[in-house]
Amino acid sequence: MRFAATEDLAWRELWRTATFRLTLLYGGLFAAGVVALVALIYISAAGYLTGQMDAIVLGGARGLSQAPAAVLPARIVEAESQDQRGVDYYGLFSSDGIWVAGNVRQLPGNLPVDGKPRELKVRGLEPGARGLAERLPWGEILFVGFDAKVLTGLRRILLGSLIWSGSIIIVVGLGLGALFSLRPLRRIAAVQAACRRVIEGDLTSRLPVSRRRDEIDMLAATVNGMMAEIERLLAEVQSVGDNVAHDLRTPLTRLRARLHRLCEAWEGAPDGKTTVREALAETDALLIRFRALQRIAQIERLKRRAGFGPVRLAEVCEDLVDLFTPVAEDAGIILTSDIQPVAEISADRELLFEALTNLVGNAIKFTPPGGRVRLVLSAQPRGPRLEILDTGPGVAPEEREAVLQRFHRGRGEQGVPGSGLGLSIVAAVARLHDYRLTLDDARPGLRVILDCWPIGLDAEARVA
Amino acid sequence: MRRILCIEDDEVTAREIASELGQAGFEVDWVADGREGLVRALSETFDAVTLDRMLPNVDGLAIVTAMRAAQVDTPVLMISALSDVDERVRGLRAGGDDYLTKPFASEEMAARLEVLLRRRDSAAARDSLLRVEDLEMDLLTRQVRRGGRELKLLPTESKLLELLLRHPAQVLTRTMIFEAVWGYHFDPGTNLIDVHMGRLRRKVDPPGERPLIHTVRGAGYALRGD
Repeated sequence: MRFAATEDLAWRELWRTATFRLTLLYGGLFAAGVVALVALIYISAAGYLTGQMDAIVLGGARGLSQAPAAVLPARIVEAESQDQRGVDYYGLFSSDGIWVAGNVRQLPGNLPVDGKPRELKVRGLEPGARGLAERLPWGEILFVGFDAKVLTGLRRILLGSLIWSGSIIIVVGLGLGALFSLRPLRRIAAVQAACRRVIEGDLTSRLPVSRRRDEIDMLAATVNGMMAEIERLLAEVQSVGDNVAHDLRTPLTRLRARLHRLCEAWEGAPDGKTTVREALAETDALLIRFRALQRIAQIERLKRRAGFGPVRLAEVCEDLVDLFTPVAEDAGIILTSDIQPVAEISADRELLFEALTNLVGNAIKFTPPGGRVRLVLSAQPRGPRLEILDTGPGVAPEEREAVLQRFHRGRGEQGVPGSGLGLSIVAAVARLHDYRLTLDDARPGLRVILDCWPIGLDAEARVA
Repeated sequence: MRRILCIEDDEVTAREIASELGQAGFEVDWVADGREGLVRALSETFDAVTLDRMLPNVDGLAIVTAMRAAQVDTPVLMISALSDVDERVRGLRAGGDDYLTKPFASEEMAARLEVLLRRRDSAAARDSLLRVEDLEMDLLTRQVRRGGRELKLLPTESKLLELLLRHPAQVLTRTMIFEAVWGYHFDPGTNLIDVHMGRLRRKVDPPGERPLIHTVRGAGYALRGD
């Protein structure tokens, strides 16, 4: 059950964790230690058992060699009959090597006849078997051998236990390694999720800190402290910007209201009225600018993903065309559209529409009479693409980044009304959606491309 | 005389509201404290309430929620410095009838309040025929006639005219028009609405006819006979 919760953690990730590798390393070292231990036990036991076998062989030979020559064959037969396990071997040969008695018909060829026990390398006997050949006082040769069945048995037992314990160590080691690594992996996943929330704009998100206060917790606590500070600073900066705009808007609004009332009261005197009216228009222009600034701050404050929902871009485009066709006609510009069916996207319809009104509005505003503005919606492999093309003066390549910044006036727009912040609003909306906003050359004119799919966290590709 | 309760803790804004509404022929009662505002909104009869979102003691959302819970259906125009769209939705969901962001142009405020008041008056009258002077619109067939002559309107123009006909002699600001006809809540700039209005006006008020669509300078548009 513990594994079920972490199905998404690939084994490759498991392998990469330090805990898993350490557990495997410990497991491997332990297995090598066990092998060495068992080998040591075998070597000492084999040495001991060889000594015992030598003693048995020597004892047997001594007992037989003290018997008179005449009864020796009978003794050998008797000794053979007492061997229940089939490990004792005897042979009596004449001085020139001809068999006389015993269950061994031929002397092992390479065995020196010197009465010392040696290892027997004979087919049919277990490896490690011991034996000796001894010349009796009357010239006959006595052979006594002892098969190493006990040694083979010991080897089998030790090998068997080695295989068993080895596989248990490997299985248990892998299991424990995985188990121990899952917890840090899960914590890393939680940390990653928290970081992703921060990147998406939720600055109040914090890394999880457990009660164990281990090294990950120490790191998380430090990062959390850092993020709290960043959040505080950002809030300060935002509220400063917002307050400046607000504080300036309020007196301006009041000034405007007074002028307006004055204007109303002045119905009879046309001269003063014109001046006041101009002042009114001036304050209106200022107010529009401040409203746009505050709007950008609002959009950038994010968390507006709450407004996300399914959006049919084709409908949005039709709304746009409907809204701007009369404006374009009045300006002597032909507004056309090429709307292809595209998949529904998840977006903030209001903000997207606001961004697009800025783009289309700009295109119409900057295109001289007789020109064309074209709105294109097309399906690309990764999602829908919106393009707005005009036949206006366009934007020089080196200025394309700069015009997306606040207050930049790049298109020689003296005398063109507006806040000058339209493109900044578009850029803020694109950033909120994680869409790519590109300015390009329409040859001639400007081509604005809004790719309506997330460009991911690739900061390089982002709209500055 | 129509009475408005203004619950607003900023004295300058309150004076602004009182002066604008006073000019428009309202009697304005000003309350600066949230708790007192709630008591008065529940115990007295007003034609409408302008309600600040952030108030001392009891905040604006709580007041409108309490009013609706007590079955007081006086129209409420919420006024707030909180301009996030989420805030707007929250205010409307709590029972506010309209939402205005501070700072605001006082004509905008007056126009919105006027619409709220009339909405209540005409809530019962659901005629399928809208008429102002000799201009009429059949809501079922979408046919529009001026003095018996049929006008050919595009769908957007027709929606625009319907909005004007539903609020005869009331000032509709450009933001209100954009909200009602296109359904989006941001400031589209003055020019956009003016162009659409200009087109409609060319069809509704051809040269020689008595103009019905009037531009209210600095504020918006109104459809009226004189």
